[in-house]
Amino acid sequence: MSSKRKAAGEAGAAAGASAKGKKAKKGTGKAAEEVTDPVELDEEMPSEPEDDYLDEEEPLEEQGTFNDRDFSKLELKPDHVNRPLWICTDGRIFLETYSPIYKQAYDFLIAIAEPVCRPECVHEYNLTPHSLYAAVSVGLETETIISVLERLSKTRLPEEIARFIRDSTLNYGKVKLVLQRNRFFVESSSPSILRKLLQDDVISRARLSRDDFTISRAPEEAAAREMEKDLLAEGEPEPGAEALEKDLHSFEIDPEQVEHVKQRCLQPGDLCYPMLEEYDFRNDTVNPDLNIELKPMTQIRPYQEKSLSKMFGNGRARSGIIVLPCGAGKSLVGVSASCRVKKSILCLCTSSVSVDQWAYQFKLWSTVKDEQITRFTSENKERFRPNQASVCVTTYNMVAFGGRRSEESEEIINQIKSREWGLLLMDEVHVVPAQMFRKVIGITKSHCKLGLTATLVREDERISDLNFLIGPKLYEANWLDLVKAGHLANVQCAEVWCPMTREFYREYLKKENAGKQQALYVMNPNKFQACEFLIRYHEQQRGDKIIVFSDNIFALREYAHALRKPFIYGPTSHTERSRVLYAFKHDPNVNCVFLSKVGDNSIDIPEANVIIQISSHAGSRRQEAQRLGRILRPKGRAQDRVAGGAEEFNAFFYSLVSKDTVEMYYSTKRQQFLIDQGYSFKVITELPPPDMASELSYSTQQEQLDLLGRVLQADTAEAGEERLGEDLDDIERYRARRSVGNMRALSGADGMVYMEYSTGQPRPMGGRGRGRIPQASRHRIFRNRYGASRR
Amino acid sequence: MVNALKGILIECDIPMKQFIVSINDQLPNAQKFIIYDLDDTHLFVQPHVADMLQNKVKDFLDKITYEKPA
Amino acid sequence: MDFIRYLSELPPVKLDRLYESHFTCQAVLRSLPPIAKQYVLRLLFIEQPIAGETMRGWAKPEALGKHNAAMERLDQLRVLLETGGKSGKKDASYRLNPVFQQQLQRALSGAIGPPKDPLPPALASHKPSPADLNAYALKQWESLLLFLANAGAPGGERRGDQEPSKMIKGLLRRAGLMGTSDEGGVRISDEGFRFLLMDLYKQLWVVVREYVAEIEDQGLDGAQVTCFLMELGFYPLGEPHGVNRLSSLQKRVVEDLASVGLVYIQKAGGQSCFYPTRLASNLSASLSESSTWQPAEGFIIVETNFRTYGYTTSPLQIAILRLFTRIEYVLPNLVVGTITRESVNTAFSNGITADQIVAYLQQHAAPQIRQRVPVVPETVADQVRLWERDRNRVQQSRAVLYEEFPSQERFAAVVDYARQVGALLWQNPIERRFVASDGRHDDIRAFIRNQSRT
Repeated sequence: MSSKRKAAGEAGAAAGASAKGKKAKKGTGKAAEEVTDPVELDEEMPSEPEDDYLDEEEPLEEQGTFNDRDFSKLELKPDHVNRPLWICTDGRIFLETYSPIYKQAYDFLIAIAEPVCRPECVHEYNLTPHSLYAAVSVGLETETIISVLERLSKTRLPEEIARFIRDSTLNYGKVKLVLQRNRFFVESSSPSILRKLLQDDVISRARLSRDDFTISRAPEEAAAREMEKDLLAEGEPEPGAEALEKDLHSFEIDPEQVEHVKQRCLQPGDLCYPMLEEYDFRNDTVNPDLNIELKPMTQIRPYQEKSLSKMFGNGRARSGIIVLPCGAGKSLVGVSASCRVKKSILCLCTSSVSVDQWAYQFKLWSTVKDEQITRFTSENKERFRPNQASVCVTTYNMVAFGGRRSEESEEIINQIKSREWGLLLMDEVHVVPAQMFRKVIGITKSHCKLGLTATLVREDERISDLNFLIGPKLYEANWLDLVKAGHLANVQCAEVWCPMTREFYREYLKKENAGKQQALYVMNPNKFQACEFLIRYHEQQRGDKIIVFSDNIFALREYAHALRKPFIYGPTSHTERSRVLYAFKHDPNVNCVFLSKVGDNSIDIPEANVIIQISSHAGSRRQEAQRLGRILRPKGRAQDRVAGGAEEFNAFFYSLVSKDTVEMYYSTKRQQFLIDQGYSFKVITELPPPDMASELSYSTQQEQLDLLGRVLQADTAEAGEERLGEDLDDIERYRARRSVGNMRALSGADGMVYMEYSTGQPRPMGGRGRGRIPQASRHRIFRNRYGASRR
Repeated sequence: MVNALKGILIECDIPMKQFIVSINDQLPNAQKFIIYDLDDTHLFVQPHVADMLQNKVKDFLDKITYEKPA
Repeated sequence: MDFIRYLSELPPVKLDRLYESHFTCQAVLRSLPPIAKQYVLRLLFIEQPIAGETMRGWAKPEALGKHNAAMERLDQLRVLLETGGKSGKKDASYRLNPVFQQQLQRALSGAIGPPKDPLPPALASHKPSPADLNAYALKQWESLLLFLANAGAPGGERRGDQEPSKMIKGLLRRAGLMGTSDEGGVRISDEGFRFLLMDLYKQLWVVVREYVAEIEDQGLDGAQVTCFLMELGFYPLGEPHGVNRLSSLQKRVVEDLASVGLVYIQKAGGQSCFYPTRLASNLSASLSESSTWQPAEGFIIVETNFRTYGYTTSPLQIAILRLFTRIEYVLPNLVVGTITRESVNTAFSNGITADQIVAYLQQHAAPQIRQRVPVVPETVADQVRLWERDRNRVQQSRAVLYEEFPSQERFAAVVDYARQVGALLWQNPIERRFVASDGRHDDIRAFIRNQSRT
């Protein structure tokens, strides 16, 4: 179990990321003038080296044997039954979800600790320096944290924990960088800390005046106080003097020196006081206002409201990261935050498709007018009005691009660089590597940064970088709670085990085929049949919309061709993609589409409710979670989605895995994140049902052998995973094979563009065929094993 | 004349049999241990490889199973 | 092992002796399935044999399966005896076992209850409450189990609260639950591991069976002991009984039972009396009744991510969880573990089965999740079974392969022989080859040699 200590001050210094340069890929059919601009393929993200998965801090103490942490000596309180959590001296917290005060306890814990797993009955969290940093960032105070924990804990709070909390928060949240009326102030409730900072040369030189510190009133931390009220008993004395009225001391610094001052404050040692950034937007009289509001019909859900309250808890805008599951409405949170700040907004996305979506969302939820919102992508270069506040939506690539741009782009980029943005919205921060952030944040000037993401899981350990580049985690929603409340679809996840055929397995085991292993286990005819069966079942008997993911392009094409379905991969042009997706969305005869890795980020398909994975990226938990997110958007009415309703189990996520191959290992690894959120993967071993095998493709040995021949003959590169520039998790890097990309295959120039075929079969129901089949007539293998519907 | 050979009868499913055959194939001739490939699910092998096979099978299955660390 | 099986495995003579006690008869009656009970009561006062046909007519046609099951049970227990059927089963007639019948008549018609003893004053003031009795029973029983569990613990014995008596240790050994380790100490056996995961009722009966067998080995009257045990089952809970009227054997039994927790002995001022506990009354309860009472409440939560949370402080329960989960945290009232492939494989190599593990988790489910359907998440139960299947994927057996048979007839004959002696493992008639297990090689070789001589 490898563990690395992440001290607070490491962030800036610990760059170390071996970022790779981007490769500007040429798309097909682009006009000559576009040549110098980065093409909008989301594959441009440079990647980070893979490390062992560990987003936990090193435990404080290891007691007992390695395998067994013995905390039985902790003292149980007499009324422990009424208290919802245990806390161990190594920082591990266990929370009972069936406690009557679960909700408040959850909100508190998610604010001060990192979730480890959150299944139905008992959650586990870790208290870490990072998580405590996040806690003080949203206004919680050290002594409050300790007293609330004490109150909620079944055992007496161990002294070590109290000490740990105090030590960790000693330096956090003590110093803020406040932007007020376009002036920058270093602010703290403790003048002695300020004096300490000023002993540093850089900081003292950045200071603008030699006068005494300015003193002002501390703004009210509404959200934090709310939470504390819920959890502290009446009459319980407010802890410490901190909660009482306090004055804030500050001194002004030169705007040019802000970055340097921030850097200095991060240095480990004496000066280690990472600065919280807060933007007093209400009092910003210098930057023009953007008068947008949320439309009256816009409904904000409780968890979205909660996350916003963390961000705006004290009336200023805090920088940080909000974590919400895919499909839970991150964009609405971004738009709402924008409407509160009411200054110029710069919104960064991962691809041009997302840019379009975000622009659409802004117009959907807010009163922003067409002329107030612009897009900046390789295909749309809209200038914004100088001297007037506006919303600009663009991609990370477009901003961070280091090469030569076209004149048009150059102009817009300069506009972006020179403007003071009130809010920098960053979408999908878990995908973007730290290096790119650093660049983007360095290039643009923004007063507040909000990162939005579905998972903080990365196969590298760059979470800490995010913390210090953007800000701490402000809020994290609970997947299962959202499902229960009907905000997320209730997905049935299944892993389908497909035995390898004898011949395929024989080839798989041969040493000389090491490079073709993936092709072999993905093209396994039994897997093909399972896929075919599932597609048929869902299309014909349920009228569902299906996406099939395959990272391996050889398989993608083979499957799609054999089954006569449209497919999209890297080289597919923007217009072709739109055409396929439009048909998928609107044409009742197009119900199944095959996607490569491009489908992970850049395509929004809200109406799919079945996902089949036939090949995926090694052990990437991020990808798994993200793919699941494709179908998490709830469909139908809320009341149908809760237990017992017609739509209760209306989303399906299948992972097809070839048995007895390394694919099993990767599949299990990938699922870990989702399993920790409370999902479980049912194992299905008998698909397709034996009586159906003869109706499906590759049912004869001859066909199978032909297929095997083709697989073995295929170019090793061709038969491998799609290489979209660099892979986002860079899992490939440590794998033995490193093949040179075959440009022919990747560019699509060998004529394999998507082809659209109708299935040619009449739909069982008229129109869109959305009728749901009642439980009894479901195919027998899907009938709920226990009769009554679960949950 | 009836011939009697002492050895070990291996009974397993098709993939495992493939696996054992592949181990055999990768050994130099002097060390090959399969006496007879009886059918899809049976092999007759030399007695001395009992432990080796057991370990190899276990290792193989261990490698393709992901276990969450403590 | 349970009550019914115990009785049906006894030789007829012994069983009839047991029926001489009306308590046994009542206990048996109580444990019968409803239809069988009906039949017994209908025949209770009838001496002549009744035709099987007639009896079949008592049940509705759609209940034929139940009827047959009931008849089989009654036959098994020798409650119903067949009387001179003419030509096979069809014409058989039945009557109740006379001994059984007589005793049952007595019990049901007369007011023969358990003997009542007035409580000596010295003891009356310290009468234990039902809760006290339960606690005592639990403590004794668990210390027996804990001793067994610790005997399997790696790294030597951990100190339990009390060592069980020599008698108990002897019983455990007799039952095959314990053996001697290489170093000469005691070691739990595979059977012992399985025993730990059984439900209480079955566990009790294993011990009782061995106990009665032990008594008989010592030349004493086992039937008396069994009848006494049955009798105990009818005593109202919490009522004291004097030891004075007991036979010397029964007195000894009471002492022995106390050490296991079936009775509680109270001594004061030279007087003593005993109280049967729930464990004793459970012995002869019908299966459906007894399984609802567990000495300890359910305490385990199994989550979909394979985590187990056990609300317990009992060293026994923790020891049992250690058998198949990887313990991660031990808190004052909670034990947190994970069901992993490794932890489950350790259990399998100790002889525990996947079904046992799942059954144990189901039976001891915490109240918070008892309403869940299913109680143990399907994915977890399935995965445990799949891991078990994985272990047995490759079977190896020491064997001999025979080939080059001169003729098909010769071949077939030897194969037949091998099959008869239970050694045939594989054959292929087309190639005239077959494989048989090593153990019978000498016999097979001899057979082949004989063949060639003739």
